[in-house]
Amino acid sequence: MVVQNRTKTTTIQPEKVIWHLFIGGDLHAFSTLFKGYYAMLHNYGYKISANLNLTEDCLQDFFIYLFENRRNLGEVHNIKAYLFVSFRRAIFKSLKRERRFTDLEGTPEALSKFEFSPEEIAMEQELVSARKEVLAEILNGLSKREREVVYLKYYSDLKTKEISEVMGISYQSVLNTLQKAFVKLRNSVETQVIRQILQR
Amino acid sequence: MDEATQAFLEKLLSDSSFRNWAKNSNENDVAFWNTWIKDNPDKIDVVYNAKDIVLGIAFQPHGVDETHINKELDAVLGQIQKRAQARDGKPVIQLSKTVKRVASLAAVGLILMLVALNFPRTSDEIVHKTGFGEVINLKLPDGTSVVLNGNSEIRYGKKNTRDVTLKGEAYFKVKPQNETRAKFWVNTEDLRVEVYGTQFHVNTRDSKTDVTLDEGSINLLLKNGIAKKMLPGEYVSYSNVDKVVLHEGAEKPNTYLWREGTYVFNNISLKEVMKHLGHTYGLPAEFMDKTLEGKTLTGGIPNENLKICLSAIEKTTGTRIVQQDNKLIIYNDQ
Repeated sequence: MVVQNRTKTTTIQPEKVIWHLFIGGDLHAFSTLFKGYYAMLHNYGYKISANLNLTEDCLQDFFIYLFENRRNLGEVHNIKAYLFVSFRRAIFKSLKRERRFTDLEGTPEALSKFEFSPEEIAMEQELVSARKEVLAEILNGLSKREREVVYLKYYSDLKTKEISEVMGISYQSVLNTLQKAFVKLRNSVETQVIRQILQR
Repeated sequence: MDEATQAFLEKLLSDSSFRNWAKNSNENDVAFWNTWIKDNPDKIDVVYNAKDIVLGIAFQPHGVDETHINKELDAVLGQIQKRAQARDGKPVIQLSKTVKRVASLAAVGLILMLVALNFPRTSDEIVHKTGFGEVINLKLPDGTSVVLNGNSEIRYGKKNTRDVTLKGEAYFKVKPQNETRAKFWVNTEDLRVEVYGTQFHVNTRDSKTDVTLDEGSINLLLKNGIAKKMLPGEYVSYSNVDKVVLHEGAEKPNTYLWREGTYVFNNISLKEVMKHLGHTYGLPAEFMDKTLEGKTLTGGIPNENLKICLSAIEKTTGTRIVQQDNKLIIYNDQ
């Protein structure tokens, strides 16, 4: 919001105000945050776990935890990135708890799914003119880390710096991963296109 | 990728002119980068890789149903309450009041609908009325959606649900009836709006009616007998008290908009802003320092909650707003 008072101009983000009220214990503000971020986090959690019940239970516990520990959250500069980071941690924790009995070896990260379905890929693509099914298949051929970076950048609309915070890797690594992912994508798409032409 | 290449890639990605070239959205930038590529053939791989990253993948995110979100929110609020009680023996937070307001605005609509349904013989009319500071989302029987702002009322006959009367402020998304091409009507003290299927805003505060059209086209029948056709983006203000058109045309000079529970102010004075809040929450404003009235505001504030709304205004205007004796008193805080 901008206020013009002769020469003076101040800018504040309404979201910061809402966060501030939430820290003060305001349940309206808490509800606003809940409604604003629920779908985004739900999507992300389900992507990681491929388990709807686990995602929804985890989300409930996560928001209750946020409210009850609101005074100990420390300074939060970027609300969206903060919620993604802490929810990611929470979902991996419940995945670990759930899989403790079935899989003693693998880390939960290794067990995360991160698969794309054709339905969640838009019809109109600027990058390639491949069918949704083909594009989903190509995306699923990327490494898990590459898929998560692509997901966070284009699905959740996070900035490179935010992605590095969420995934706990350096800014350079995010960039590197992104670059590799798109080299692979480009190659796969070209292979697919050539295959299609040959089939005709 | 070596360090120099990575640095170059990063530079390209953060260059707005490069992004314009990738998206083919600015002739000058397109021309510049095409020449640049010709002159730097060794960089072509990085350039095209960067282009791919800029264009990216377009996703179609799965939405989560709003009723599901509200249900989950209720469950979470219930848990918070229960745990607070278990811990302290009594609720620390005044929850009953809050939960009632939070427990989805639709519930308010439901109660009103139930009230209306419970007295079918007493009236053939259905009335939805909001209290101060209460916003409700309505779905009319024909599929039209209406967002009714605080301190407002909408009524319609059971036989013709596409002929409604409004007092106060509402936003309409009228569902077109493609088969019958039946019209939709909004009546106010000052005029009658004739609609086929479109989106528009109506405000009847201050003994006049303001209509702003966002999409489609509508006809206005003013109470003085004159008919007017409106185009998208246009705004008409008419008062039947003075029988004059106060404004008509494209731009409202200093506008305020109210859409989907958010006030959008465009270079509007604090005095005007407080007047709108006064209508919605029933709290008139009193300026302790008259010079504050002329401060102007630009931006959006959510209006479902007075506290958030006031807090946002305070922070941007450097004022302190205190609610006292059903009034909002504005002090200078600088």
